[in-house]
Amino acid sequence: MYLQIKEIRKQFGDKVAVEKLSLNVPRGAIYGIIGPNGAGKTTTIRMIMNIIAPDSGEIIFDGSPIDETFRDKVGYLPEERGLYKKMTLIEIITYMAELKGAKVKDIMPKIDPWLDRMQLLDYRDKKVEELSKGMSQKLQFITTLIHDPEIIILDELFSGLDPVNMELMKTVIMELKRDQKTILFSTHVMEQAEKLCDYICMISKGKKVLDGSLSDIKSGFGTNSIQIDIEGDGAFISSLPGVERMSEFNNYIELQMSEGADPDAILQGMVGKVKIRRFEVVEPSLYNIFIQTAKLSNEELEAMETNNA
Amino acid sequence: MHKYFTILKREYAQIVKKKSFVIGIFLTPVLMAAFMILPAILADKDVSHSETVAILDQSGLHIGQQFAESLAQYKLEDTDVPSYEIVGVETIDVADQESFDKKYDSLLMQVSDKVVKYMVVIKPEPHVGDSGLILVSNSDNFRTSRRFEHQFWKLMSTEKLRHSEVNMPIDSILELTASVKMIKRDTTGDAIPFVVKMFTALVFVMIMYMMIIMYGTTLMRSVIEEKNSRIMEVLVSSVSPFQLMLGKVLGMGGAALTQVSVWIALGLMMYLSAGTISMSLDSSLARIIFNPLIVVSFALFFVVGYILYSALFALIGSVVNSEKEAQNFIFPITISLIIPIMVSTPIAMDPYAPWVVAMSFIPLFTPTMMLMRILFISPTVTEYSIFSGILGEAILGFITLTLSTIAIVWFSSRIFRVGILMYGKRPTLPEILKWIKH
Repeated sequence: MYLQIKEIRKQFGDKVAVEKLSLNVPRGAIYGIIGPNGAGKTTTIRMIMNIIAPDSGEIIFDGSPIDETFRDKVGYLPEERGLYKKMTLIEIITYMAELKGAKVKDIMPKIDPWLDRMQLLDYRDKKVEELSKGMSQKLQFITTLIHDPEIIILDELFSGLDPVNMELMKTVIMELKRDQKTILFSTHVMEQAEKLCDYICMISKGKKVLDGSLSDIKSGFGTNSIQIDIEGDGAFISSLPGVERMSEFNNYIELQMSEGADPDAILQGMVGKVKIRRFEVVEPSLYNIFIQTAKLSNEELEAMETNNA
Repeated sequence: MHKYFTILKREYAQIVKKKSFVIGIFLTPVLMAAFMILPAILADKDVSHSETVAILDQSGLHIGQQFAESLAQYKLEDTDVPSYEIVGVETIDVADQESFDKKYDSLLMQVSDKVVKYMVVIKPEPHVGDSGLILVSNSDNFRTSRRFEHQFWKLMSTEKLRHSEVNMPIDSILELTASVKMIKRDTTGDAIPFVVKMFTALVFVMIMYMMIIMYGTTLMRSVIEEKNSRIMEVLVSSVSPFQLMLGKVLGMGGAALTQVSVWIALGLMMYLSAGTISMSLDSSLARIIFNPLIVVSFALFFVVGYILYSALFALIGSVVNSEKEAQNFIFPITISLIIPIMVSTPIAMDPYAPWVVAMSFIPLFTPTMMLMRILFISPTVTEYSIFSGILGEAILGFITLTLSTIAIVWFSSRIFRVGILMYGKRPTLPEILKWIKH
């Protein structure tokens, strides 16, 4: 294993933020840590980054415990983002790279292509304070990657990004994967994880509830879900016999069937009441898997839904 | 090592690139000179118009009139206009207390209305005792007081002599009683006038104070900014908090050192070019500022003192969320820099006083106090011993200062590490103490 996290634990005051968490991240994989806000994702990542020390447990990178040298091999994009406002783009990129131990002459030729790629080339010699929020995000993304890190850790990468930039980031991530880079990222939006990740670790209230490769996880749950696409008020569907839970997403509804339920009967119950555009029996989405596994309270469920809808 | 340097370079550049830095280099000495020299010049400057004087004479000896005449010798600078315009000499009989009171009250009104600047009251039997003269004024000055006292003393002496049985011309007797001018020397030659010592000590200490406060608060502000802009987290994922803190302290220290070096260079240039003109003024000053012990100790105490205080400023920056919150924490730091300045006079009078020696070994006071003691003592020392005397104490003081600075830097970095990632809430003291243990 490339990055191994062994039973790390962190407590702040009386609150246990991370409880005996273990992870195994293989080289060249895209690994997603998912869970609702406050589940302990950022704390876990900060411990990997050696920003805060775990109370117990250990973190092993490439065969040896993480130390000073690890800092230079990783590209880290924290959830809390910021850059020096008074520096120019070119200055801040070189400064960040130098802090990672890179030599200016090595990174100089890479700066312009990166800026071009992120549509920031025109701002090359402008100050950071002149950038819009989306632009600063992209700039920060460049500073994370400019020193060609072996492992990339992205905390809530997609938060605050518009759809165009989100696609841009996804493309870059897929390219990094092609270059055999290891990517670890966290998100509370499960759909994103589902589209990107090879491996997933779900955490809730500081504890791991599930982990493994995406395909293993999904197949482990069988095909107990139905995705539907309807016109009209579908509120009654949740009370149909055989429907355990109903989750509404932007453009579809996912139903989780109770054990032994018959999809045909559910379809029957819907016919005539709403217009059905699509009805598909599928593997459950990560979101539903999470809901089924984490056993959340009603309040937590509500919070999850507002975040994922 | 490379990372320390990268941070240091950026912090240095951030300061030196600013326009305010360049302006500060040239403006500060001007302002400082203005602050120290201007009041002296102003105090000494003659007023440009005659001032009104009313005299109320109760002596019965007609001293009032003589006093008024004696003031006629004082003229406004470069003119023939008398300095004092006598608006009235009232001679009142000792027994007539009623008209005295009336006159006194009416003059008092005039002084209050600024019609009369000085009211001089000569009491009955002024030659008995030493307080026969009263000056009533709402804005008196040193020069006028001295003139009035002197003229009155002369009149009184004349008066007393007239009643005595000395058979000599009064003027020659006054000549005999003229005061003596003492020539002061110390063990190495002509003594350095007290004023010169005080002046140099204050300049040196003020430079230290200003630089520490100025660069300390800049450092603190920059830490607060890094916290608030959330860049801190990226920084500490690339470098250790200790590297960050020390890099910042040294980078800004470099900027401060640049500033002081420019001042020293400017001062030297001025000294060398003006040397031919005003050499006489500088002989005692030169003995202080060209004393190698003073030069070396200023450099060393300044550098180490700066690091000590900066570490504290960095610590404050790391635990607060805004400059406003920082104010309470800065106060004790400012005080510990000001106390030595406040006690500078007693230090000058007895730099070996036990309490002075003791205070100069308290790390927060050492840079300023020890420097002042060295300034006051060392020009008079002919042979130094490294085990005793001021040199020995300076070395010991420097060692204790350096050791405590290392301890404080370490201690600050422990808090800094945790503080920089705490947003929003200001930590309580017990929390901070807990961070140190972690």
